[in-house]
Amino acid sequence: MTEPLFTTRLINYLFGGIAAAILRALGFHPANSALPINESFALEMVVALGLILFFLIVRLTLSVEKPNPVQQIAEMIHEFSSTQAEQVIGHGYQRFQPFVTCVFLFILLNNFMGLFPRVITPTSQPVVPLGIAALTFIYYNFHGVRVHGPFGYLKQFAGPVWWMSPLMFLIEVISHLARMMSLTIRLYANMLASDLLVLIGFSFLPVAFPVLPLALHFFVSIIQAYVFMLLSMIYLSLAVSHEH
Amino acid sequence: MRKLQYVFMVLAALCFAVPVFAQSGSAAIDMAPVGVGLGMGLAAGLCGLGQGRAVGSTTEALARNPGTRAGLLMFMVIGLAFIESLTLFTFAMIIIKVK
Repeated sequence: MTEPLFTTRLINYLFGGIAAAILRALGFHPANSALPINESFALEMVVALGLILFFLIVRLTLSVEKPNPVQQIAEMIHEFSSTQAEQVIGHGYQRFQPFVTCVFLFILLNNFMGLFPRVITPTSQPVVPLGIAALTFIYYNFHGVRVHGPFGYLKQFAGPVWWMSPLMFLIEVISHLARMMSLTIRLYANMLASDLLVLIGFSFLPVAFPVLPLALHFFVSIIQAYVFMLLSMIYLSLAVSHEH
Repeated sequence: MRKLQYVFMVLAALCFAVPVFAQSGSAAIDMAPVGVGLGMGLAAGLCGLGQGRAVGSTTEALARNPGTRAGLLMFMVIGLAFIESLTLFTFAMIIIKVK
């Protein structure tokens, strides 16, 4: 086990006691009692704090006459996600745009963490993508129920032919659960594979050569964050769409 | 000539058989690397074929009608993600099963 990172130690110093108390109250025992918050969770918290700080700065310095660079970046992100959401979800996409944008930025920054030396990619631990995928699953099902009502949403599962409906219902339920699994494994396996590739690059020739796997990691990070956002938008649009 | 061929074939078979005999007394041979290589090779190769078809037809469509760039790109990325996720399932199974 290597020395824990500075951020891990800081966050454990600040919140470790509370986290350990909560875990003990729920009947769990942290694997490492000195550091109850593990490395990937600490990195996630750093990313989340960074995002909150970014949005706070954008909100506080918002100006129509003189947009500063931070606002320009925020506008670029907004432009990108709104065009994508409008293409996929269509009418009424504004309601879902904050969620998918947050998912995109969070995954993107978590993936980029792996570019720094000695820092693990948080998303290469299976629990991190599972958390995001479970949140997406709950979110789109919630909106499906909100739009169609509980009975109407379940009726979507049954399909159009009434005597096939028991079979279709089972298949649909399994396929909805498999969406969560496939979202998790896609992100986790991609980041793990590219982490391993970076490791192989460093052990092959530690000078200059690892730039290639790191560049690959960079592109894979962007593409996987984009794919995750796109798939959650597609699931949302399928859940809230009306049949004509 | 035919006889010589048989002799060489038997010799080749024995050549591969010798390590098996040598290890018969000790622990079982670890076949996991062979399985990993075969499984990952099959998955990656077939995934490459599938992705090649997808990207090929997308490029063709783009060449015919460059105006559809934005929509096509999105569909291609989704399709590639779905195709490669099958390979990644294999990879995840290997990571879980082989320690």
